[in-house]
Amino acid sequence: MRAPLLAQPMLLGLRNSLTAPVILRRLPFAIIGALFWLGLYLATYRLLSFIRGIEFMGELFSERLFSMTFFSLTGFLVLSNVITAISAFYLSRDLPFLFSKPVPTGAIVRIKTVETGLDTSWMVITFLAPVFVAYGASYGAPAIYYAASLAAILLFLALTTGAGVLIAHLLTAMFPARRSRDVMLGAITLLFLAFYFIIKSALPPDLSAPDAVLQSFTRFSPDSPFLPDYWITRTLFPLLKGGRPDLLYGIVLFSNACFSLLLSSTFGRMVYRRNIEKILPGEKTPGKGLTAGIFPSVDSSFLYKDGITFFRDTGQWSQIFVILALVAVYLYNFKSIPLDALLGLSPFAVQIMVGINLLMAGLVLSAVAARFLYTAVSLEGRAFWIVKSSPVDVRRMLWLKFLSGFPPVAALIISLVAMTNYAMHVQGALMVLSALTGLLLSATVCGLATGLGAAYPKFRHDNIASVSVSIGAMVFMVIAFGVVAATIAAESWIFYLHAVRPGGSHASQVVLLLLALAAVHAAAFYLPMRIGAERLCRDADTLGL
Amino acid sequence: MITLEDVSKSFGGFRAVQGLSVSIEDGEIFGLVGPNGAGKTTTLRMMTGLLTPDKGRVMLGGHDMAKEPLAAKSILGYIPDRAFLYEKLTAREFLVFTAAIYGITKNTAVRRVEELLLLLGIGDVGDSLIESFSQGMRQRLLFASALIHEPQVLLIDEPFTGLDPFGVKTLKDIITDLGGRGVSVFLATHSLHIAEELCHRIGFINKGTLAAVRQRDEIRQTEGGLEALFLRISG
Repeated sequence: MRAPLLAQPMLLGLRNSLTAPVILRRLPFAIIGALFWLGLYLATYRLLSFIRGIEFMGELFSERLFSMTFFSLTGFLVLSNVITAISAFYLSRDLPFLFSKPVPTGAIVRIKTVETGLDTSWMVITFLAPVFVAYGASYGAPAIYYAASLAAILLFLALTTGAGVLIAHLLTAMFPARRSRDVMLGAITLLFLAFYFIIKSALPPDLSAPDAVLQSFTRFSPDSPFLPDYWITRTLFPLLKGGRPDLLYGIVLFSNACFSLLLSSTFGRMVYRRNIEKILPGEKTPGKGLTAGIFPSVDSSFLYKDGITFFRDTGQWSQIFVILALVAVYLYNFKSIPLDALLGLSPFAVQIMVGINLLMAGLVLSAVAARFLYTAVSLEGRAFWIVKSSPVDVRRMLWLKFLSGFPPVAALIISLVAMTNYAMHVQGALMVLSALTGLLLSATVCGLATGLGAAYPKFRHDNIASVSVSIGAMVFMVIAFGVVAATIAAESWIFYLHAVRPGGSHASQVVLLLLALAAVHAAAFYLPMRIGAERLCRDADTLGL
Repeated sequence: MITLEDVSKSFGGFRAVQGLSVSIEDGEIFGLVGPNGAGKTTTLRMMTGLLTPDKGRVMLGGHDMAKEPLAAKSILGYIPDRAFLYEKLTAREFLVFTAAIYGITKNTAVRRVEELLLLLGIGDVGDSLIESFSQGMRQRLLFASALIHEPQVLLIDEPFTGLDPFGVKTLKDIITDLGGRGVSVFLATHSLHIAEELCHRIGFINKGTLAAVRQRDEIRQTEGGLEALFLRISG
């Protein structure tokens, strides 16, 4: 049995899933994808037209943009390959089957490498293709450029896949597989955060001066002959202009891609079986910690279980990093607002900033609720049969889930709003109103998240984090942000009537607005909770149990 | 104690269970046997409230599962064929959680948890994570969780999956003892010899229909025993 034969389950699975209903169901996403391609192509093309139009430096900037694209992708691709490789090589469910069959370890290593590469790379290919085409169209490149680009992308992906798989084997040889994957997820977030702060610090304070922006952009761009972005740029850029490529760097790219795959494959054959034996389940006795001696009541039973699970399951922590990063970016942005300068522009600058602050807090709220409240029901996993077959009213369970998640989320959001308001010297009625708005939004968005999470539960999942980025969670995010925006807009309008157009009789308008706002919040809270509870009462098989 | 009246369930166009009626007395151990896909698990899942019958009704202890699900479930213990549990809890924590959702008071629950861990031979791994448990240990833990509230009705789907001979012996003794104490036991299994040994009555289900119900003595008097009957009815 060899690697191509081992690829058959994957290929047959793909073929079997290509049925007419599945294709029809995915058609809207395909259309959105096509529109994304078109949008990315047009945006890149327009950006290139602008950049190349800059006198003297235009071509240099264009080349830098090209190499920067690959530079930023290299790190993320390697890290994402590490995460995917740990899952594919060490945590996937087909491992007992594969290792019980007369299959050489090398063949398993090869098929798992291909699996890792495909899983990680499809999105990059989606992202890079319109960028390459836009470059080709902008320069009027010959056909050879497109063929060379395709080859370069594939070699680039092979190189990063090999590197990612190699690091995954090394990490798993040193640490438990699941923990390694979670650490890498955290590392990706920190890398994003570092990238954001580097870009932010590299950019000039005044973004309205394009020359200064481009200057800092040029300074930031890496230009090392030891990095793949340099090899790709040196190989492809001359072709864009109809010239001859620098074959040396093409060969360097090719040889490094081959070496990377060869090294990961050789190392994998050496350590894979040993690593697998190391991660076989053994008896694990955790520390008793804070739960020792605690006996929950019916009402606190889910909080008890979910609390223990949260602290023990490192897979749940990865998104905490994402949220912390979001909060850090949020606080950093407010710290750097030139409030004094803004006050000169408008007498209501502080009030406007308070509104923007609430809007931003609403974004953080939606992200936090997506992670902790939307996933609350799915967290039960396939063990939800225990709840379904026990005398627990699912409506009550849903309320308990809401009541467990709402207080900490509300505390976070109100603290964020208060801290940023304090940084802007906001006090008195405006501070109280902001805090109350934060509380109201927290309650509604948490209810919305709990209810929609119950309406679209995903009990079959490997990692709870995947539930918070599912299509249902995206729908939740859109509705949640709509509620936040509507609330801020209504409050802003009331403030406008009160402060900018005083004297007139606006009482009826204000009452109507407040009633409409109350209706929006009531509907956004109550309807999803009701629909969610009804859906959870459905048959177990329709819930995926 | 358990009554199924003309219960039917279909999935799409597939009729999983058709017009199944049976009544089980207090203290009776009833076995449901049949080939793969005959409708055993679907029947049990309707009895637990996991599935809703398209037709007919399920009564447990006089409570209609459709109309009074919480009352019906409060007297029910269920052991499914596949043990999906809360992997990050320890066995003891899982039992504490289960006791809490049945509203058992702290003192009673603490006593029951320790008793059941010992009875089912998992006392020494009570503080280990469930994720590290073997299939047999999970099965023992499932039994413990199903018995924590001292149910009047016990539903078991393939009771001895993954168990070693000691485990099988322990569970057989527990089931027999429960029957003797008035608990109605409904078990679905492929293991004919175990059904023959444990059950007072055995129902034969094939293609969703309850083809026959026989008393244990009746089966023992049949030439070839339960296996011969099973092959004849299922064939």
